[in-house]
Amino acid sequence: MGAQTILVVEDEFLIRFMLADSLRELGYQVLEAVDGDEGFAILLTGQAVDLIVTDVRMPGTIDGMDLTRRSKSLAPARPVIVCSADLLRSESHPADEFLTKPYSFEALAGLIARLIGDPWQTVPQIHSA
Amino acid sequence: MADGTPDPQCLIVADADVLVRNALAEYLRHCGYKVFEAATSDEVVIALEEGTLQIDALLADADLAGRYNVFELRIWVKDHHPGVEVVLAGNVDAAAKAAGQLCDEGPHLKRPYDPESVAAHIKRLLAATRGQKR
Repeated sequence: MGAQTILVVEDEFLIRFMLADSLRELGYQVLEAVDGDEGFAILLTGQAVDLIVTDVRMPGTIDGMDLTRRSKSLAPARPVIVCSADLLRSESHPADEFLTKPYSFEALAGLIARLIGDPWQTVPQIHSA
Repeated sequence: MADGTPDPQCLIVADADVLVRNALAEYLRHCGYKVFEAATSDEVVIALEEGTLQIDALLADADLAGRYNVFELRIWVKDHHPGVEVVLAGNVDAAAKAAGQLCDEGPHLKRPYDPESVAAHIKRLLAATRGQKR
């Protein structure tokens, strides 16, 4: 069984890189997009994406909330986590989870594991006699 | 590293097209590299100026957007980070070929698959997206 694939959509280079790198360290397959337009382009290719983590405010024509709605129209069951410092956006949003910035990586990893599972748990266990 | 395992070599793949960038970066990760993905020359500059990321090479698309065009970026890199090898590619086939050559020199010394397969995969993704947008 292959690792679950997460699409990370974040316009801040260092945040995107650190987040994607940390998720790869956990064993997930990660696709990176710098804005909602790129994220939606990836979704349109039909590549398997199990979960989306997206910032809300980004340059381009598609923000994180719009990307969430578009993802839900393509794949209603695919979980989306939106991350924003704007608490007002947390009250009404189309995503499965809302993470308030700043957040800890552990909090995000816990949410992801709850929504799509932990990649280490998909590896067959070897039991000693 | 403490256990004697060398750190993986680090590359930046810089391309304005996310589908090209993702595919090239993933191919190079399979070759054993740690890969940073950059969409613009500004992101390349941020990665190199960050200080803690030890970048060995930059694979950049000739049409890269941002504060510097790709030729200005090459000069900037040579001036500010002379240890970073810069590889320019003008199209998908050239980029895949350059990635294949980097793989030959990479930590694993083994290609996961042919660069031609990378180019074909990228073209399929681009065609799929264009078909959806019509």
